[in-house]
Amino acid sequence: MNAVKIAWRVTRLNFRSQLEYRTEFLLMVAIGAIWQVSVIVFATVLLTRFTGMGGWDSSDVLLIPATRMLAHGLFVLVLGRMHGIGRFIQEGQIDVYLLRPMPVHRQVQLQYFPTNAIGDLTVATGLMAGALSRSHLDWNAGRVTYLIVCLIGGMLLEAALFTAVASASLRFPTADYWSRWLEELLGTFGSYPLNVLPKAVGGFLTFGLPLAFVAYFPAAVLTGHGHDTGVPYWLAAASPLIGVLAYLASRLLWRWSLNHYTGVNG
Amino acid sequence: MIGSIEVRSLSRSFHTTVRRPGFTGALRSLVNPERAVKHAVSDISFDVAPGELLALLGPNGAGKSTTIKMLTGILTPTSGEARVAGVVPYEDRERNARNIGAVFGQRTQLWWDLPVRESFAILRDIYEVPMAEHATRLKEFDDILELSSFWDTRVRHLSLGQRVRCDLAAALLHDPPVVFLDEPTIGMDVVVKEQVREFLRHQVEQRGRTVLLTTHDMTEVERLAERVVLVNHGRLVLDGTLDEIRRKYGSTWQVRATLADAHTEVVPPPGIALLRQEGPQVVFGPDGPDAPTVHQALKAVIERYEVTGIAIDEADLEDVMRAAYVHAGPGAKGA
Ligand SMILES: Nc1ncnc2c1ncn2[C@@H]1O[C@H](COP(=O)(O)OP(=O)(O)OP(=O)(O)O)[C@@H](O)[C@H]1O
Ligand SMILES: [Mg+2]
Repeated sequence: MNAVKIAWRVTRLNFRSQLEYRTEFLLMVAIGAIWQVSVIVFATVLLTRFTGMGGWDSSDVLLIPATRMLAHGLFVLVLGRMHGIGRFIQEGQIDVYLLRPMPVHRQVQLQYFPTNAIGDLTVATGLMAGALSRSHLDWNAGRVTYLIVCLIGGMLLEAALFTAVASASLRFPTADYWSRWLEELLGTFGSYPLNVLPKAVGGFLTFGLPLAFVAYFPAAVLTGHGHDTGVPYWLAAASPLIGVLAYLASRLLWRWSLNHYTGVNG
Repeated sequence: MIGSIEVRSLSRSFHTTVRRPGFTGALRSLVNPERAVKHAVSDISFDVAPGELLALLGPNGAGKSTTIKMLTGILTPTSGEARVAGVVPYEDRERNARNIGAVFGQRTQLWWDLPVRESFAILRDIYEVPMAEHATRLKEFDDILELSSFWDTRVRHLSLGQRVRCDLAAALLHDPPVVFLDEPTIGMDVVVKEQVREFLRHQVEQRGRTVLLTTHDMTEVERLAERVVLVNHGRLVLDGTLDEIRRKYGSTWQVRATLADAHTEVVPPPGIALLRQEGPQVVFGPDGPDAPTVHQALKAVIERYEVTGIAIDEADLEDVMRAAYVHAGPGAKGA
């Protein structure tokens, strides 16, 4: 497994090089953590003050932001570098990646170590622990497995969205601005039961920008709200599969875009 | 074939939108963009034999980098074909990548935040080069390029000349039979330039690598290349030796001889004209399109006359190239 060996080596070296800039490193970890904490504080206040949000128990509803954030933290750690790639494209870095016998996508992921993921993941893990400890559900092996699968699915779905934007950036580097909008949107709407939102918005976040499959549907299925999400139960339950399919589709799009890459001049 | 480059009718065009002047023009472009096609490379064919160094020359915007990008698998051609060491680069990018090394002077392939030697180690893993072999090669590169004084520095702290030297080493660490160099000596001082030339010569002569080089430095061309391909406006203008180019565009040499006997009747050999004669001093120049090279002329003059002194003035390659670029300018059909 040479690929794994290389990924490990590069990651280790990148991590070490970030450690050498000690202050920068600590700031990065801190910003990841503070960012997530602020989101959590806001969400928790909202979710626990208004009990019965969308008909959900307040202990159940915490599972949504916890799932969303943990999936997001995993995304940042494993596949996060797709986002903000426009600058790299403009600098011609893609040309360099195309010269090496390794998939470009993987090289993008190995660009640098995502130090902020440490903060993201720490906070998200804390939140998930909190949500699980307050939960009245029976966390048997089946539920736990489903939760883990959903986390991976959510990570892949987010990766799919950013990979799609990155593919567009290969053609139009300014498309990168969309990734900021996307990040905002995911952060804002990712933590709440979508049935409290107007139908049109909920519909958009299900079928347009399929954010609902990251945390809302999985949490609904886990907590027994799977039948009143506005979509068929099987669809809500298939969330992880949607994540996998979306990711595969985005990788095809990425490959197509690379084949039509026109390069930057210079 | 191992180490060869074959290019057949290779073309690449880019679609761009034409800017209209002024604000209303900009608005009109938004609604109804005027598309233009830029033919960066049109119908270029040439071959490079294994172990040969070929200089790809041409003025700014001629299509040199675009050609190299197609041969390295970065760009897909619009039409035509290319094979590098038997592999079609844009179809089998990763396999091609194992056979080639490439340096684009303006941009680095090293990891920006890592010490150079760590980058080398990563490349060793990527190309699966055995440890011992890696060490030997690194030593060999260090001997000529003197890398060890700065290879523990982070790439971002290197000077341009240091960085490009490291890039050169990085491109050759996996022992590729074919090497592409797009302005590799950009921004180097004269001493380092000479080091790099020596390095390249070593790589071609001792290691038998095939090299395709672009540069705007004519001294470099003279020192390194026997054969050049000249492109202009995306078209191939000339494929030949430096001598051929000189003959075609640089018919400005002079041979000044002092004859032993001032009364010799001077009837110059074919293709050579007598420009001046003052007593024993005679000056010859090229005559007609089939004029010999300055070296051939020199030989002919010495063989034919009894001379006590001889000197040559040669148009330098820059002059020749200037003539060639102008000659092959817009509207001019390739030779
Ligand atoms: N991605 C692109 N989009 C649009 N036009 C391009 C692109 N890349 C190159 N061109 C155009 O194609 C032509 C050839 O460019 P190229 O970079 O190959 O020239 P070059 O011979 O390398 O020049 P230089 O000596 O300045 O490096 C130029 O007119 C350039 O503007
Ligand atoms: Mg160029």
